[in-house]
Amino acid sequence: MTGRAAHAGRHPAARRASVAVAAAGLAIAGYLTVAHYAGAAPVCAIAHGCATVQKSAYADLAGVPVAALGLLGYLAILGSLAGDGERARTITAVLAFSGFGLSAWLTWIEVAELHAICPWCVGSALCMTALAGLSTVRLA
Amino acid sequence: MSHAPRRLLAALGASAVLVAAGIAVSATGGAKPASPAPPASALFRGIPERDGVLGNPRAPLTLTEFVDLQCPICAAASRETLPWLVEKYVRTGGARLELRILHFIGPDSERAARVAAGAERQGRLWPFVEAFYAAQGAENSGYVTDGFLRSVAKAAGVDGGKALAAADGEPALRRLERADADATRLGIRATPTIAVAKGDGPPKPVGSGVLSHAALAKALR
Repeated sequence: MTGRAAHAGRHPAARRASVAVAAAGLAIAGYLTVAHYAGAAPVCAIAHGCATVQKSAYADLAGVPVAALGLLGYLAILGSLAGDGERARTITAVLAFSGFGLSAWLTWIEVAELHAICPWCVGSALCMTALAGLSTVRLA
Repeated sequence: MSHAPRRLLAALGASAVLVAAGIAVSATGGAKPASPAPPASALFRGIPERDGVLGNPRAPLTLTEFVDLQCPICAAASRETLPWLVEKYVRTGGARLELRILHFIGPDSERAARVAAGAERQGRLWPFVEAFYAAQGAENSGYVTDGFLRSVAKAAGVDGGKALAAADGEPALRRLERADADATRLGIRATPTIAVAKGDGPPKPVGSGVLSHAALAKALR
């Protein structure tokens, strides 16, 4: 058995958990993306952290809604989880670590700059954190 | 070094580059800077203002608008609806306008609301608010500095030094508390919202957002 083959199929539970967490993240990001495009609610909602976050200058990254970037990220992670070779696990890890880093940055922005917390965004950040941890396990 | 740690390090390195690029774009993108306040318009010229009440204090209709000065929709409503209301109802003595300035969007909102209360003490609340909207920047971007507020005050014909000094006083705090209490009492959940009181009747919210002239005319009948 080669080294590559020996690695393949390790940590099946971590892979299954990654699929479940990525699916949950996809649902959250999907909701936030729909809210972003449909949410041109022509009011400023009181005591609604998500509205504050979604209307802030940080809601877009180079013109692309952050929620849509998250949606693409989770789709890419799910796609990478279709494979279980070293390359697939590395791609999952790069995506999950990147998502984790950006989520951490955006959460800090919510707390320090916007003084508003969007529970959906926090949920997505937790998903990315879990995916980063699971990716580390699968890659180790 | 075995494959696993190498791949982990490579993944971390690639991610760090992607995150750094994302943060760089996010930190520099999108923030709309506040613009210098343009001179006040003639919209309110000749209309009495006392204790923030614009128009005839005995007018049969009272319109109370709930706003947050950082709210871009409030600025849009001010541009699109207020001139019509003022000309058709306030200048003719049919209605008086009141304002309740909330501060839920962020710290900039509170500072702005407090200085607006200082402008109110000078009988220039409405011109101050109009000038603020004209120069409004991105929410919570920190644009509501003393310098910005002074430029808004100047554009509105307000003594900026006195307004800023009044912002820290008890009357300004009471204005904020009254606005919050009225919003809570009327169940107001968004800005801008207009409440209408007919005669001595209680105020009733008639709608939120940029209301059409037709919708407002119907509410005021």
